[in-house]
Amino acid sequence: MFKKRFLTAVAVILIMTGTLYLLERLLMPKHVSAIVEGSLIEEYYKEEKGHDVIFVGDCEVYESFSPITLWEHYGITSYIRGSAQQLIWQSYYLLEETLKYEKPEVVVFNVLAMQYDQPQKEAYNRMALDGMRMSLSKFKSIRASMIEDEKFIEYLFPLLRYHSRWSELTAEDLRYMFRKGKLFHNGYYMRVDVKPVETVPRGRKLADYQFGKNAYYYLDRMVELCKESDIELVLIKVPSLYPYWYDEWEAQMEDYAQRHGLMYINFLELIEEVGIDFAQDTYDAGLHLNVTGAEKMSVYFGKVLQNTFGLEDRRNEVDLSRAWQQKADFYYRMKEDQYRELEEYGYLKSLGARPPESTAVD
Amino acid sequence: MKRLSLIILLSLLLTGCSSGADPVSGEAPEGAGDNGPAGYVFENGGVAIAMHGEVEPILQALGDAMEYFEAESCAFQGMEKIFTYSGFELHTYEMEGVDFVAALVFLDDSVSTKEGVYLFSGLEDILSAYGDGYTKTNDMYSYDLDGSRLSFLIENDEVTSIEYLAVTE
Repeated sequence: MFKKRFLTAVAVILIMTGTLYLLERLLMPKHVSAIVEGSLIEEYYKEEKGHDVIFVGDCEVYESFSPITLWEHYGITSYIRGSAQQLIWQSYYLLEETLKYEKPEVVVFNVLAMQYDQPQKEAYNRMALDGMRMSLSKFKSIRASMIEDEKFIEYLFPLLRYHSRWSELTAEDLRYMFRKGKLFHNGYYMRVDVKPVETVPRGRKLADYQFGKNAYYYLDRMVELCKESDIELVLIKVPSLYPYWYDEWEAQMEDYAQRHGLMYINFLELIEEVGIDFAQDTYDAGLHLNVTGAEKMSVYFGKVLQNTFGLEDRRNEVDLSRAWQQKADFYYRMKEDQYRELEEYGYLKSLGARPPESTAVD
Repeated sequence: MKRLSLIILLSLLLTGCSSGADPVSGEAPEGAGDNGPAGYVFENGGVAIAMHGEVEPILQALGDAMEYFEAESCAFQGMEKIFTYSGFELHTYEMEGVDFVAALVFLDDSVSTKEGVYLFSGLEDILSAYGDGYTKTNDMYSYDLDGSRLSFLIENDEVTSIEYLAVTE
């Protein structure tokens, strides 16, 4: 009698857990055909590890470097652990988590995120956190990231947050319930479209140009983490023209890098040297680089990485070369597909971009 | 009985406990789309511009902008637009396909606040127009009213920046 009851209870618990799991898989946003950036973080776990270089940071970093180009030109293996408006504590905890899987030679952090001292917006938190595997690093990142109305438990059990999506479900939610295809290139988000820079808004005056204590706290921790792990940390500011990068911010980063003996490169000062042409190399008028811009940045930066840190050219490793050839094939296939789509529609419809006429001034 | 409890649990989960729209696809902030002038309002040529107000009728009344800039927020979280008119910039944010006023920034002293403060006015002009209910961050004096913030930056005893901002809770 007791045994029967026990088995029934176990069966009920298993069925309930299974049902909740299936519901969660169904209801969580898939980020496959729109807002694909929401899939960036989770793609890392499927990758072979052992990268030479790990990039961490916000959209500026996942749009500015092509790991395929770094491989093809220098035999450097790299991965970008970035997400949209990724805050510095999210970058820190992602790095902490990454170091559980692998130990790169160099970590590169893009410093635009220093402008945010406090959590900003749930949508961006979700894009950085939902894709992370359960770990202590994830829990700490959630704690650091939540805005006022958010609940920790809704990050642990996303079904509690997304249950109301049942009325918005589409065929895509079923199709990608358990499995999604690869969308990125070692964390690089490819865009081949072009929208030239015409004007750049001036920087609005700020009450306080000092980066916040919280931002510095996590930068200090990142420095410490890399030092303990015997990893070179490089700070960069990629050459995006907007949001505005203030001279006062630049001075703080130069000073910080000098005090901590870090390499800091502000690519805004190297636009000509890198060869960035903002009539061709951006897909949104100067905020993000497109694929031609990212490839130029990678050719330039790869040389810096190789010369400064003596990263080995690994193209003679047979298995590695074979794996990267597959990545390159996927890269060029996507590039061709995007150019074809651009030719056909005039914009990247499959990525949820807007048709050019819808964004023009009336 | 157990089947019943399962159904109840699932029903609660699907219909009940929280929390609003999908956070990634976005939802309108409090105050968005309130068209009636509220909070601090800027006026130019008889056109009232309130924070969180819908932009379309304002643009129609103001006419063509001298300059225009638009930027898609990261991961399609809305289009940010900046319209430059003589003396000021109008910044917008987008929610559910509609543009709302996000900020208004003075560019020169050809425009003033409704209460008569210009760029290059003094602190005493601000205090006599708005009183002492400000919050101060370094040299920035800010006044909050009904979802709007009016900020003045004082440098060398002069106002060097005036901004209206839409405040979201």
